[in-house]
Amino acid sequence: MTTREAIAVHTLADEALDQAIIAQHAADPVDLTALSALYREGAQRARDRAAARFALTHAWVLALEAGDARSIAELERELRACGGLAPPRS
Amino acid sequence: MLTVTRLQEQLRPVRRAVESAAGLPNVLYNDPAGFELEKQQIFHRTWACIGVANDVPEPGDAKPIDFLGMPLLLVRDHDGALRLFQNVCRHRGMILIDAPRKLKGVIRCPYHSWCYNLNGSLRATPHVGGPGINEHCDVPADQLGLLEVRMGVFLDAVFADVSGHAAPFEEFIAPLKARWSEFADQPLYHGGQESRFTLDIASNWKLAVENYCESYHLPWVHPGLNSYSRLEDHYNIFAPDDAAHAPGDFSGQGTLVYAPQFEGEAPMPNFGGLSDVWDRSAEYIALFPNVLFGVHRDHVYSIRLEPVSHGRTREHIEIYYTTPEAATSDERASTRRKNAALWKDIFIEDIGVVEGMQQGRGALGFDGGKFSPVMDAPTHRFHAWVAAQLS
Repeated sequence: MTTREAIAVHTLADEALDQAIIAQHAADPVDLTALSALYREGAQRARDRAAARFALTHAWVLALEAGDARSIAELERELRACGGLAPPRS
Repeated sequence: MLTVTRLQEQLRPVRRAVESAAGLPNVLYNDPAGFELEKQQIFHRTWACIGVANDVPEPGDAKPIDFLGMPLLLVRDHDGALRLFQNVCRHRGMILIDAPRKLKGVIRCPYHSWCYNLNGSLRATPHVGGPGINEHCDVPADQLGLLEVRMGVFLDAVFADVSGHAAPFEEFIAPLKARWSEFADQPLYHGGQESRFTLDIASNWKLAVENYCESYHLPWVHPGLNSYSRLEDHYNIFAPDDAAHAPGDFSGQGTLVYAPQFEGEAPMPNFGGLSDVWDRSAEYIALFPNVLFGVHRDHVYSIRLEPVSHGRTREHIEIYYTTPEAATSDERASTRRKNAALWKDIFIEDIGVVEGMQQGRGALGFDGGKFSPVMDAPTHRFHAWVAAQLS
């Protein structure tokens, strides 16, 4: 993780969560599902809506990469709820 | 130096009948401009072999391929279908996959994390509208999917038409498929890591084709064959006349005395339903431009020629068997090893003459050579095909 990413993450949540995210990024191989869950937790603890959208976006991309269909659906609902994605077309 | 006018003059005698034809000029063997011309006029204009389906055997497998500078991505999607794309993100042109890997979900671009489904559709554009805003009206996802490349498969060899304008693959492969109709739809089982190898050759790709499709050199370059497959047991092969010099053309040689014997090894099982002619026959055909096949009653191989430069080629050899047991069992491992070693030894024997011809192309006075109408006709057929593509 770059310094900027680490700073961005720090705006989300507490130091322990930051360190867990950094450690998971550095793992080889990266556990995509676990990392997605950490970002999702960071979104839940985010101090504002913009920070939550940012963290949810990362959680969503990682879930897509992991092929985690259930998490993808849940994260997309949460993103729509906070304006990160448009409502689905009817 | 290559000039278009001079090249056209030099190609005219190549397209004459074999009795009076000359071979392709030196500039197409020792000049980077000749290599570049062939890239444009042959490899990026018609069907060419870019890999094998066995490169991506399982759903989620992805393999990047550098096809003469064109980045391609061969993918087995999550439903098991084979797909071929240009290996480039539609955003800023980043290479998507740089090494073979297994994809659990989407293809994620390492630059800005645009995500693509394995059917090529654009799945996600994170932060494209600002941090946490993942859509933008001026970035229509339905118009920015991966660029799919036309693809066809024959005997597990994967062919690509990167131009998008070649005749349908079914038309391209029809002549060879008709000749080998008894093999074309047989299930093939790859013999595993021991049944694939790569040879790095210091020669132009065409020389490997020219050598492969004739039997004239066998007694001198492969003396070990003389004891069981004499020159007089071989015959020339050509695609039908209506395929001559067109995409789908081929030439090669066959033998009437295929009789595999490995000491201490039981025979490998044959393909089902073959006619009696294949009891003792085998055929070796170069499908122009760049794949060499060998078919036998008990195994098939392909040699994909990867042109690296005007003076360098990689040969990728893959060997397939007729049943899963023959291809993967421990009991048949020894036979597979011996068969692969036999072919590897034979193909290595060819390296000296192929590289020697490359060196010979540095002779300023060499006019492309003279063909024996009887023994070199398959080679001339290939020369004439190349000349037709470049004319």
